[in-house]
Amino acid sequence: MNGEETVIDYLLLLFRVLVFPGFTFIVLFTMFCDWVERKFEARMQNRMGPTFTGPGGILQPIADFIKLLTKEEITPCETKRNIYRYAPILAFSVLVFALCFLPIDGSSVIPGVSFAGDLIFVMALVSIANFALFLAGWSSSNPYSAVGAARVLTQFLGYDIPLVLLALAPAFLAKSLTISTIVSSQWLPFAILAPWAFVLFVITMQAELEKDPFDVPHAESEVVGGHETEYSGGKLAFLKLARDVQIVFGAGLISVLFLGGANGPVPFGFLPQFWGTLWFVLKVLGIVLVSEYMTVLFARLRIDQVVRANWRIILPLSILSLILTVSLTYWIFPLV
Amino acid sequence: MFKEVFNHIFKKPSTGKYPFVKCVPAEGFRGQQVFDINLCVACGLCSRDCPAKAIEMVDVEGKKRPMFLLDRCIFCYQCAESCPRNAIKSTDLFELATTDKSSLVIKPKAAPKPAGTQS
Amino acid sequence: MPKSNIDIVKTLESKLSSKSVQILPGQLGTATVKVAPGDHRDVFRALVDADEYTAISAISGLDLGANLGVYYHVRTSNAFLTIEVEVPKDNPKIQTVNDIAPSATFHELEVSDLIGVVVEGNPRSGHFVLPETWPEGVFPLRKNVNASEVKQNPPLPEEKSDEGKLVKIVIGPQHPALLEPEKFAVLVEGETVKAVQPRIGYVHRGVEKASESRSYLQDVYLVERICGICNSCHATGFVEAVERILKTEVPPRGKYLRTIILEVNRIHSHLLTLGHAGLEIGYETLFQYFWRDREPIMDLQEILTGNRVVSSSLTVGGVRRDLKDTDIPKIRSVLSDLRKRLPFYTELYQNEPSIRARMQNVGTLKREDALKLGVVGPVARGSGVDIDIRKDDPYEAYGEIPFNEIVRSSGDTWARMNVRMDEVEESIKIIEYALDHMPTGAYRVKVPRVVPAGEAIARVEAPRGELFYYVKANGSTMPERVKVRTPTFSNIPAFLKTAIGETIADVPPNFVSLDPCFSCTDR
Repeated sequence: MNGEETVIDYLLLLFRVLVFPGFTFIVLFTMFCDWVERKFEARMQNRMGPTFTGPGGILQPIADFIKLLTKEEITPCETKRNIYRYAPILAFSVLVFALCFLPIDGSSVIPGVSFAGDLIFVMALVSIANFALFLAGWSSSNPYSAVGAARVLTQFLGYDIPLVLLALAPAFLAKSLTISTIVSSQWLPFAILAPWAFVLFVITMQAELEKDPFDVPHAESEVVGGHETEYSGGKLAFLKLARDVQIVFGAGLISVLFLGGANGPVPFGFLPQFWGTLWFVLKVLGIVLVSEYMTVLFARLRIDQVVRANWRIILPLSILSLILTVSLTYWIFPLV
Repeated sequence: MFKEVFNHIFKKPSTGKYPFVKCVPAEGFRGQQVFDINLCVACGLCSRDCPAKAIEMVDVEGKKRPMFLLDRCIFCYQCAESCPRNAIKSTDLFELATTDKSSLVIKPKAAPKPAGTQS
Repeated sequence: MPKSNIDIVKTLESKLSSKSVQILPGQLGTATVKVAPGDHRDVFRALVDADEYTAISAISGLDLGANLGVYYHVRTSNAFLTIEVEVPKDNPKIQTVNDIAPSATFHELEVSDLIGVVVEGNPRSGHFVLPETWPEGVFPLRKNVNASEVKQNPPLPEEKSDEGKLVKIVIGPQHPALLEPEKFAVLVEGETVKAVQPRIGYVHRGVEKASESRSYLQDVYLVERICGICNSCHATGFVEAVERILKTEVPPRGKYLRTIILEVNRIHSHLLTLGHAGLEIGYETLFQYFWRDREPIMDLQEILTGNRVVSSSLTVGGVRRDLKDTDIPKIRSVLSDLRKRLPFYTELYQNEPSIRARMQNVGTLKREDALKLGVVGPVARGSGVDIDIRKDDPYEAYGEIPFNEIVRSSGDTWARMNVRMDEVEESIKIIEYALDHMPTGAYRVKVPRVVPAGEAIARVEAPRGELFYYVKANGSTMPERVKVRTPTFSNIPAFLKTAIGETIADVPPNFVSLDPCFSCTDR
């Protein structure tokens, strides 16, 4: 913005950040994705899923959130008080902030804020959010939380490395580390140009999001609640919401990097924001459904099997995928 | 397993929308008892044989009749078996949960008098 | 089927002829050995040396007035012995036998807790089955103790113990991995388990003591409610023991109907465990599918007995209700639908990579450990020990119905779950055979309310293993002593052994594979 900015411009900015496609839209979209996940998982398991709250149970995630907010909050006396209190909110806000960098309706939520290299910045933000979840478990003085928090740390640190390596594949294809450039240079989705990176990225994202078969930190039969054990009431509501936002963020990242983000196959001149958002929403839902299908299909691996899968299988494959992508970009696709 | 899970997306769910859709138990289901006072001979065998001490004999019009305490009853129907006159039979009522404990005490009602007699 | 030609009675007579031992052959392949308190160890040594299948099935403690009776019930490969020892009440000391027969440990602790026999060499610290607030020195199974009048101590805070560098992770009493409450304190170093300290008795309701103040007819219902899942088996054990004292014979139609009810119970229980195992390894889809296929079996139980879970259909002398001919086609169609689903599940349990990754080589129990610890049921059959009461000591109609005994030899969690999976198929075969060959006639005989003095033993193959009942009658309408030994009680020592050396993540699948039922364990 240069020159004079009118009040309308400020109001529009506020609208963008707070309502659409900013905070309110992200939260409502997260709850919608949660409903889609639960209903899809239920149908695959031959049961009904949420049915009674709202038509088809669509208000169930909101009802669960409000219910948790109204419950009593019990804080054990030996926790590290401030970390315990603020870790859920920290995780949630960092993830929402990271989501603001993804171009949901064609440009990022806070206009003009994307810069060169913001892909790496966004991945670093996700690591901070995961670290906040670890702190949530570590600060509650409970052996179950400690074991769960240690598992969160082991898993996300281990799988962050192949995730970054695989995320560099679209960066090489687009010759830039800026997310909006990657989106706009996808005249053909990168999933078709570099399918090996796409498949591996989806699998690694499954591990990063801690879903089956990499569900170890949430293993109820072993560590009761993992890092969430001692939380109740409003803090638990935000921890759960943080996890759901993490899933939406993961799906959003996949669709932005590999599927073309808000670009649709047919460009519409009229109201590009609406159509861009629609395409983005559809792609995110598609990834969520595929991810949920993988969740339902497998049992949970043990922590040592998860770690071994990372260092022996996923990491070498991601290095190979990077080499393959680089050689293809510079020797075979010089025009991309 | 892949095919099985995928096929289930298109099947109808096997769970039903209880309590809006009720299910009917099979015949011979041991639900709440129904007691016919006209057949009772006041022998007291039902109360003596009840494993849960859920039947107490109370006085109704000069004779001892069974009063059923449904919060203790285990619905084994030993009372129906011990009764020599078949006065206790089963129904298929099973939704007996309530917030008022006194509604679970089934007192025997006196038999209605035939018309034309003095009360 | 006898597994060997060892004649236990002759072996004992030849080895112990110098001691003061009295051997009385009893009914149905049993024998009673009366021995003085010091000599019982020699009897055990002779038995263990002669037969590798020797294991203690149960130890009953009785209050005999001036003495306390300690009856060791021992099973061998082709006989069942009761070794009766009496100790005086004012000095109730007896030496332990758990160095000769390690299967005795838990039983000796229980006897010392409930009836007050001091077992030298196997000391008991705190209570074993009774709650911590129960006063010391008051033994509930003695005749002079009225359990409802005992005043309990106020609860004490738990003492902190120092395990050094081992972290104590407490599984239970409330834990998502357990169906029922028990406490297992698992001591880990890093992620490896070093020791497991059990504490059972959270669901102890004193059923054995309660059965002494109710009539035989009422006791059938009391005993049935020891466990929700295997309720018909408990009822069967009790009524069989009473029928043996009364010397009544159940009509053939009653026996076949009882067999059908027992096998439906077994199918339902195995489907429950197989689904629950899926939940423990994080495979929720498997759990939902198994429990959906279990629903028609519950409806079948409703048709046969009037209730989906607690059958209440056995009584002394037969069964309480007849099978209508109009119900038989429905039963057959439910069974054939289940049979069509079985290949999918069998193939899943045998070949699915994530199940194999979590269950193979986890919780391995070697054959000699299984024999020494005296485990029963699918836990034993998964380790190559072929004991199955339906074959070894047939009861009801099992002697006339052909079926296979499923035994696997690898001894890990995977083998145990596959044994249960195959047994579902065998149960379907048994029910269909029984329906095809159902005799006509009466299904029940009338029995007197007063049972003459006597004692009898009954063993039933519950879905979890050998269920043991010992009933002693004294000529009144109420039994003198009812002793119940449930299969999970014998199997928990196996878990304490197999969990050591594994990671903490292996503890839930290992645990669920021995199919624990703690309502049974604690009675």
